[in-house]
Amino acid sequence: MAGLTELQDEQLLRMMQVGDENAFTTLYRRRQGGIYRFVLEMSGSAPLAEDVTQEVFMALIRDSRGYDPSRGPLAAYLLGMARHHALRFLKRDQTYVSNTQTEDGARDCGEAASASREDPHSAMSRRETVQSVRQAILSLPGHYREVVVLCDLNEMSYEDTASVLGCSVGTVRSRLHRGRALLIQKLTGGVKDEAGHEAIDPNRCLV
Amino acid sequence: MNCKDFENVIHALVSRRLVDKTKQLEALEHAGQCLCCALRLDEETKLTERLQAFSSTLQGQRAPVRVEEELLRAFRESAVASSARLFGVSRKRLWRGLGWGLAFAATVAIAWTVTFLWPRLHPGSSKVPSRAANHLSPAPSEVSRASLAPGQVGPRAARNGAATPQIAHAGSLERAAQDESAAELTTDFISLGTCDDSQCMEEATLVRVALPAEALLALGVEAGNDYSPEGSVLADVALGSNGVPFAIRFVNYSGGNNEN
Repeated sequence: MAGLTELQDEQLLRMMQVGDENAFTTLYRRRQGGIYRFVLEMSGSAPLAEDVTQEVFMALIRDSRGYDPSRGPLAAYLLGMARHHALRFLKRDQTYVSNTQTEDGARDCGEAASASREDPHSAMSRRETVQSVRQAILSLPGHYREVVVLCDLNEMSYEDTASVLGCSVGTVRSRLHRGRALLIQKLTGGVKDEAGHEAIDPNRCLV
Repeated sequence: MNCKDFENVIHALVSRRLVDKTKQLEALEHAGQCLCCALRLDEETKLTERLQAFSSTLQGQRAPVRVEEELLRAFRESAVASSARLFGVSRKRLWRGLGWGLAFAATVAIAWTVTFLWPRLHPGSSKVPSRAANHLSPAPSEVSRASLAPGQVGPRAARNGAATPQIAHAGSLERAAQDESAAELTTDFISLGTCDDSQCMEEATLVRVALPAEALLALGVEAGNDYSPEGSVLADVALGSNGVPFAIRFVNYSGGNNEN
């Protein structure tokens, strides 16, 4: 198993296709976190993230030959599948999103654990920031949200993001620009920022 | 760099994706000169910090262990199912291949039997009969080459006391006739009128029989000196493939007009 961690995703996939369980386990452990977080950030729902993660890897077990290496890395393929499943689940069952509030408590436990080492005021401030960012992200339109999640939260390149979303790099750039502008708008209370200053319209001072 | 150019690179700048150092410096220099762009840079930087803070809270988030267990179970079932499916397919292919192989082997065996074995088992049924027919009719030695006709009798050359087979297929008659020609005295074949073409002779089977001596008279053969009505004479009867006799010759018989 130790040797398997050195292998690339595509090599693990080939081994998995011939029934190597360790290769599958290695691949799963390497990629499941990113998929789970992506869906969690997209939907705010841990059960949905769990379902989608399972569904993605089930699909890989059922038909791993659906992956075409010429169309991008396996990680992008898996995230693309996750996005597809997440959108399908969200369209089918809106309760996943409405459950967001109830999951916040559970997620806050993790945040509280990490914040316990900070002083109470900064921990409180941090917690509020995280809450506001989460709400702002979840309130974005889907096509902006997924770009922000992939590029900013998961630090994926524009090219990989374009591969996941099945669009051009230019589209990714423009959506990211617009998504971030919307986020700024939401996080600054519409037109005011935290200090009460009016938010800058990115287009107003273009020379 | 102007504000529009700055706006184009601002995201790359704050997310540290702007690898071109020159552009990076130009952007920062522009932000130092333009208040609007400086505020934009500040906004974007704050947003990036907030997103990173949010992202860091999710870093430890992973799917529960039960998902992995569920998937591993599914993977094992899938592996078993696929191997079973693979075995099923190969078994089908094996049986299909075996069937074709058996059919091919049977075809080869039949062809070999027809080509090589059949002539040995039934020498008179293929190529030999034509030669045998030559022996059956005017055949080997000095026997008359005239067409067969009732009453026509010609002595064979030699005599021999050796036993001759009771039944001989026409195909083996070349060798047999040579032996016989040296050992027996026979008449020419006498047509019985049941076959007019040479095809009958090619398919003929020769049967040696013992006939009442009266048969000689019935066939119009002249009685010899040793003729006795109560006695019997040996004869070779040529039978067609349908079992109908169409020619006969007498063995070790010297007719009244023949030499010894």
